[in-house]
Amino acid sequence: MAATTESVKADAAEAPLLNTRNLYAGLGLYLVFYVWVRWYEGVYGWSAGLDSFAPEFEIYWMNFLYIEIVLEILTASVLWGVIWKTRDRNVMSITPREELRRHFTHWIWLACYGWALYWGGSYFTEQDGTWHQTIVRDTDFTPSHIIEFYLSYPIYIITGVASFLYAKTRLPHYQQGLSLMYMVAVIGPFMILPNVGLNEWGHTFWFMEELFVAPLHYGFVFFGWSALGVLGVVNTECEAIGKLLKKDLV
Amino acid sequence: MKTIKDKVAKLSFVALLMTLSAAMLYTPTASAHGEKSQAAFMRMRTIHWFDLNWSKPVVEVNETMEISGKFHVFAGWPETVDKPEVSFLNIGIPGPVFIRAGSWIGDQLVPRSVTLELGETYSFRVLLKARRPGEWHVHTMMNVEGGGPIIGPGKFVTITGTMGSFTNELTTLTGQTIDLETWGLSNIYFWHGLWYLVGVAWLVYWCRRPVFIPRHLAVSAGKLDGLITDGDKKVAIIFFVGTIGLVLFGMGQANSKYPVTTPLQAGLMRGMVPLEMPEVSINVKVEEASYRVPGRAMQMTLTITNNGDSAVRLGEFNTASVRFLDPEVYQDDSGYPADLLADAGLSVSDNSPIQPGETRTIEVTASDAAWEVYRLSDLIYDPDSRFAGLLFFFDENGNRQMVMVDAPLIPVFI
Amino acid sequence: MSASQSAVRSRAEAVKVSRTFDYLIIWTLFMVLIGGYHIHFMLTGGDWDFWSDWKDRRLWVTVVPIVSITFPAAVQAMAWSRYRLPFGATLCVLGLLLGEWINRYLNFWGWTYFPVNFVFPSNLVPGAILLDVVLMLSGSFTLTAVLGGMAWGLVFYPGNWPIIAPLHIPIEYNGMMFTLADLQGYHYVRTGTPEYIRMVEKGTLRTFGKDVAPVSAFFSAFVSILIYFLWHFFGNWFSQTRFVQST
Repeated sequence: MAATTESVKADAAEAPLLNTRNLYAGLGLYLVFYVWVRWYEGVYGWSAGLDSFAPEFEIYWMNFLYIEIVLEILTASVLWGVIWKTRDRNVMSITPREELRRHFTHWIWLACYGWALYWGGSYFTEQDGTWHQTIVRDTDFTPSHIIEFYLSYPIYIITGVASFLYAKTRLPHYQQGLSLMYMVAVIGPFMILPNVGLNEWGHTFWFMEELFVAPLHYGFVFFGWSALGVLGVVNTECEAIGKLLKKDLV
Repeated sequence: MKTIKDKVAKLSFVALLMTLSAAMLYTPTASAHGEKSQAAFMRMRTIHWFDLNWSKPVVEVNETMEISGKFHVFAGWPETVDKPEVSFLNIGIPGPVFIRAGSWIGDQLVPRSVTLELGETYSFRVLLKARRPGEWHVHTMMNVEGGGPIIGPGKFVTITGTMGSFTNELTTLTGQTIDLETWGLSNIYFWHGLWYLVGVAWLVYWCRRPVFIPRHLAVSAGKLDGLITDGDKKVAIIFFVGTIGLVLFGMGQANSKYPVTTPLQAGLMRGMVPLEMPEVSINVKVEEASYRVPGRAMQMTLTITNNGDSAVRLGEFNTASVRFLDPEVYQDDSGYPADLLADAGLSVSDNSPIQPGETRTIEVTASDAAWEVYRLSDLIYDPDSRFAGLLFFFDENGNRQMVMVDAPLIPVFI
Repeated sequence: MSASQSAVRSRAEAVKVSRTFDYLIIWTLFMVLIGGYHIHFMLTGGDWDFWSDWKDRRLWVTVVPIVSITFPAAVQAMAWSRYRLPFGATLCVLGLLLGEWINRYLNFWGWTYFPVNFVFPSNLVPGAILLDVVLMLSGSFTLTAVLGGMAWGLVFYPGNWPIIAPLHIPIEYNGMMFTLADLQGYHYVRTGTPEYIRMVEKGTLRTFGKDVAPVSAFFSAFVSILIYFLWHFFGNWFSQTRFVQST
C-alpha cells in the first residue's frame, strides 16, 4: 500500500508522458506564423508584388527573401546543432517509461513535420497556381515563390530533419542504423527545394504560362511521392511502441 | 490567472480575425505587369500595338470600359518565339478585377485562340466590366503558344464602388436568368459537403475503436479474428449500396433538373480578317543604327524615298509600345500613358517635307528615359541585337503612312 | 533499458497511451498525405481540377481518376496489410479535398477573387468509399485493383455530374454558343492562362461522338486498374521498416 502511494506520488511528480502544451504550442506556432504570412501576402502581394522592377518590390519582397534565408540558415544551424549536441550518449540504457516519453516527444516533432508539410506541399504550392494566374511572371522570385519555395519548404525541411535527428539521438529503436523510410520521408520532400532549379530553368527558357500539369513540374511530383515514406515511419513507430506496450496491452 | 489567459486567448482570436478581414477587404493600388522583364528584341519584333484608347480612367463596379486599337504582327518575327498560329487576345490585368465582357479582332468575337498572319495589321477591342475596386494597371496583351505573353502598354484605371454589388446576370438558352457570379454555388457546397460527410462517417466508424498499435500487434501475431467483424461487413455493405445509390440518385436528379446541357466549347478560330491599311508609298532603308548608352538615345541613319504624290514628314517612331514624337509634325492627344510617350523625343536632322519623288538621307534620334525605364536599352545585351519598330509619316493633310523598320543595332559605350 | 520493467503503470494507462498515439498518428498521417497527395495531384491533374471550363467529357474524365488512384492504392497497401484498416483510400481523398477546399476558398477566392463556382475541386469520395469497401469485403488486393479500380474510374463522372451539370447549360453570347463554364473561363480573366492552354475535348470525325464520357470513363477505369497495381507495390515499398547501416 505504501509502495503504491509512493508510486502515485512519483507519477504526480514526474514529467507527463505527452507534453500537450508543447504539442499545441508547436502546432500553434506554425498556424499563427502562417496566418501572418497570408496576411502579408494579401496586402503586399497586391500593392508591391506585381512588378519585380518596381522599387517597392525590392522593399517588401526581395528584403523578405533575404531576411527569411538568413533566419532559416540560423534556425536550422541552431536547432539541429542543439539536438545533436545534447544527444543522449547512453540512449540504450534508458528506462522503458523514459523511452515511451521520448516517443511521445518524437511524435510532437512528427506532428509538427506533418503540419509543416501540409502548409508547404498543399497550401502554399496550390496557392502558387492562383497567384500566377493573376500576374505575368516577370521574375523567378515572385511573391508566391518567395513564400512557397523559400519559406514554407525550408520550414518543413528544418522540422523534418529536426524530427529525424531527435529520433536518431534519443530513441533506442533508431540505434540499429538509419531508418530507410524516415530518410525517404525527410530527404525526398527536401529534394523539392533543389528541384526549384529545374522549375525556374524551364519557366525562364521555355514555358511562360501557368500550366500546372506541364511535364516541367514532374520533378516536384516525383519528390512529393516520397512523402509516402511516412507509411514506413508509422510502421516503424508502431513496432517500437508496440514492443513497449505489448505485455500491458494484449 | 485563468481570466487573464482567457482574455489573451480571446484577444488573440479577435486579432486573428481582424488580420484576415483586413487582408480580404484591402483595396490596393496595383503596379505594372512585369512587361519590362521580357527581352527587348522580342518586345520590339513581335506585336506592335498602336492607336490605343482606354475609354475611361474611372469606372464604377458593374460599369464597362473598353480598350481598343490596332496591332501589327511583325513580319520579322524572332525565331525564338513560335509563330502566332495559335494566339489568344488576352488582357493584362491582375486577375478578375474586371470581367472580360467581350473581345473582338476586327468584327469577330474571340473567346478562343486564333491564328494571326505575319505582316498583317488587325483592329481589336476588349470590353471590360468592373468587378473589384482598386487602381489597376490595364494592359493590352497577346499570348502566343510556344512564346508566352506579349504585353502591350498599360494604363491605370480606377474602379470605384464595392465588389459585393457586382452582378453578372445572363439569360441562358433554356430561358433562365442567372447570376454567373454565384450560379450553382449552393449546389456545389451541398454535394461536396454531403459526400465529405459520408467519407468522414466511414473514417470515424473505424477510428472509434483502437486503431494502430493494438491492430498492429494483432496482425503481426496473426490474430486476425475480430479485427473485421460481421457487423463491420454489414456497415460496409450499407456504405457500398448507399454510395452507388447516392451517385445514381444525384445523376438522375441532375438530368431531370437540367435536361438541356452541352459539352464545353473549344477549337481554334482561323480566318481573322486583317485591316486594309493604306498603300505605303514610302520606302525606308536603315543605313545604320546605334544606341548611345551614356545619352540614352538611339540614332538611325535612314534613306527615305517618297514614291507618293504628296510631301511627307516623319512624325513618330514606335517601338515596344514606347512612342517618340516630333511635336512639330504630330502631337498625341489620345491620353496615351505618359511614361511610354516621349512627346518631344524624336529629332530629325532635316524634317522638312520630303517631296514626291525625292530621296533623302536623314539622321533620326530617339531619346528618352523610357529606354532605361522600360529596359529597352538592354537590347544591346540581348542574344540577337536587332531592333524593330514602326515609323509614321504624315502629309500636310494629316494622312498617315506606317512603315516597318528592322535592322541590326550597334551599341556605343563611350 | 530493462526489458522486465514496464513502460506503463497499468493496462488502463497502456490503453490510454495507445489511444493517444492513435490521434497523433492520424493527425500526422493525414497532414503528410495532404501535402504529398496534393502536390502530386495538382501537378498531374490540377488544371482540370482548378477550373470549371476544364471539366470536360473527355480529358478530365480520363486523367483525374488515373492520376488520383495512386496514393489511395499505396495507403491501402499499408493500412490493410499491417493493420487490417480499410480506410486508406478515404483517408487520402478526404485529405486531398480538405487541402483543395482550403486553398480554393482562402486563395483562389480570398486572395485573387475567382468565384468559388469556377474553382471548386472534383469529387473523389464515392470512388474512395467503393475502393475501401471492396478491399474490406474481399480481403484481396487483386480484386480491389480490378473491381475497385474499375469502380473508381467509372463512378467519377456520375459522381461529379450533379455538381457540374448546372454549368453545362448553353447560352448565346455575342453571337456564339457557350456553356456557362466556358463563359466563366472567358469572363473571369486568368492573366497567366491563355485559352489555348486548356486541354479539353475538341471533337472528332470518328464514331461515338455522343458517348464521349462513358468511353472516357471506361478507358480511365482500365488504366486505373493498372495504376492501382503499380501503386500497391509502391505502397508496400514505402511501408517497409528496414534500417540501413551508415557507411
